[in-house]
Amino acid sequence: MQIEQVVFSHDGKNNQLSGVSASIPKGKITTIIGPNGCGKSTLLSLISRNNKPITGSVQLEQKDVLDYKPKQFAKKLAIVYQQNDIPPQITVEQLVGYGRLPHQSFLKRDEEADREAVEWALTCTNLLAKRNSDVSALSGGERQRVWIAMALAQRSEILCLDEPTTYLDIYYQIELLELVKQLNETYGLTIVMVLHDINQALQYSDEIILMKATKVVAQGAPDDVITEQMMKDVYDVRVLFTEQPSIGRYMVPLSI
Amino acid sequence: MRKIASFVIVIVALFAVTVYAAMTGSVKMNTIDFITAFFNFEDETMAVIRDLRFPRIIVAMFAGAALSVAGVLLQSIMRNPLADAGVIGISAGSAFVTTFVLTMMPALFMYAPLLAFLGGAVACFLVFSLSFKSGLNPLKIILVGIAISAMFTGLREAFVTLCGYMGVMVDGTVSSNLSMRTWSDVQIITLYGMIGLILAVTLSKWCNLLVLQDKTAKSLGFNVTRARVIVAAVAVLLAGIATATAGVISFVGLLIPHIARRLVGHNHKVLIPFSALAGALLILTADTLGRTLLAPQEIPASTIMAIIGGPFLIFLLRREKN
Repeated sequence: MQIEQVVFSHDGKNNQLSGVSASIPKGKITTIIGPNGCGKSTLLSLISRNNKPITGSVQLEQKDVLDYKPKQFAKKLAIVYQQNDIPPQITVEQLVGYGRLPHQSFLKRDEEADREAVEWALTCTNLLAKRNSDVSALSGGERQRVWIAMALAQRSEILCLDEPTTYLDIYYQIELLELVKQLNETYGLTIVMVLHDINQALQYSDEIILMKATKVVAQGAPDDVITEQMMKDVYDVRVLFTEQPSIGRYMVPLSI
Repeated sequence: MRKIASFVIVIVALFAVTVYAAMTGSVKMNTIDFITAFFNFEDETMAVIRDLRFPRIIVAMFAGAALSVAGVLLQSIMRNPLADAGVIGISAGSAFVTTFVLTMMPALFMYAPLLAFLGGAVACFLVFSLSFKSGLNPLKIILVGIAISAMFTGLREAFVTLCGYMGVMVDGTVSSNLSMRTWSDVQIITLYGMIGLILAVTLSKWCNLLVLQDKTAKSLGFNVTRARVIVAAVAVLLAGIATATAGVISFVGLLIPHIARRLVGHNHKVLIPFSALAGALLILTADTLGRTLLAPQEIPASTIMAIIGGPFLIFLLRREKN
């Protein structure tokens, strides 16, 4: 995907994105990081077509995302939001089944493909045992996996995640990021996510898009982008980096 | 299991109340006479019942069904358990436009259903556009709706009073009373009512998807706005047609869907047909009680519904807060 000179504003006065360009490499995990209010989630909303740019464009396979039909686009790209309201009285399997909507039309429906995709999504997210449970009865981590399963059932090539770990405790955070990594490695899914935790971004990303005050300041491999100087410039925090044998480079915050 | 039992009980009760409603009133019949007379097309008492009571029964049932399904549809598009065609002013809009236009141009009486639809659509549009900015907050919708409802009710009353001064005959199509319904009312409400109910059932999958947040439904390639407009149109059709034939009856669309969800769950494929049956049962019961309790005086079904419905709305509002 290519993001070219995108300008976006919610109210027409203050820009949430002012001339942002970036690229999302296919088959990689790309993480968008930056301080609060820098436009990370807004950028993701333009990538996923939930918002339209004022000028500039987002292109998928050399075609403007706005030129895709809604269902056609939903087969290419799926997104999991940070916070989701759970419909009352719905089982895991039913909710995941909604992910098949882009593949169904009023007259045409391939039930075999639907069943396979739901089965696959439940297997990937380790929810087979919970398939008949009511979604509202699940734990926070399980719920987040249900929404991911719904997105997976879309069978898209790109999966976007907006701060997927924000409301989870550390165990579920790691579980979720491992799932994301596994989806990328096993099925070649292109992942685009917004993360707050710099160390998680370091550990799980192939590519980093770093933003500050409605602009992209750097894009590249994590080790090139996330440096002591950059942490000072963008976050105004002094840090140092150490090496951990099992996970590699690791950031330790020192002071502000 | 519980779903099947609920369906069976409501159908049996509906049948029983229908038979009772047909038998009681100023002309009374016992069961055996009723059954023998029912199949005897010469019987004069039965002819009276057939022409006076049957239309009333059928109109009451369809109005109840239409209003409760309209409630289910409105609640799904507004993602709000408190939406009801009567409470948020759709019925009042229908009633005002129908009365106004038909009094001014009585020749248009054939278009009463269309006028009711247009009036309801205006009210629905106003409620929607005025409460959309608040993210369709449940209480906000109710407040805006009550204001819209009051406005249209006021306009209609002012118009009726004005007509009284000027000696103009006010059109009686919309009255809050189910007496004097004729077979032509039956034709209108069964035709448009059936169309509306069938459309509602076919839209049940959309209603299920509208329960999801807009951004989520949108990310699945679902055209949320289009679905909202179409489902709203069907809701207004149902509410309008009920108003045009049975008058303004509030709270049915609030009470029935709420109870129905407890009995048969939230899936609209089951919820919509069940609400239709239960709504028919409720209004028929209310109307039958209304005309038998203080006979020969009549209490309109809408009055009985307001007496039951008002406290029920307060109960729901209190629950909503917790």
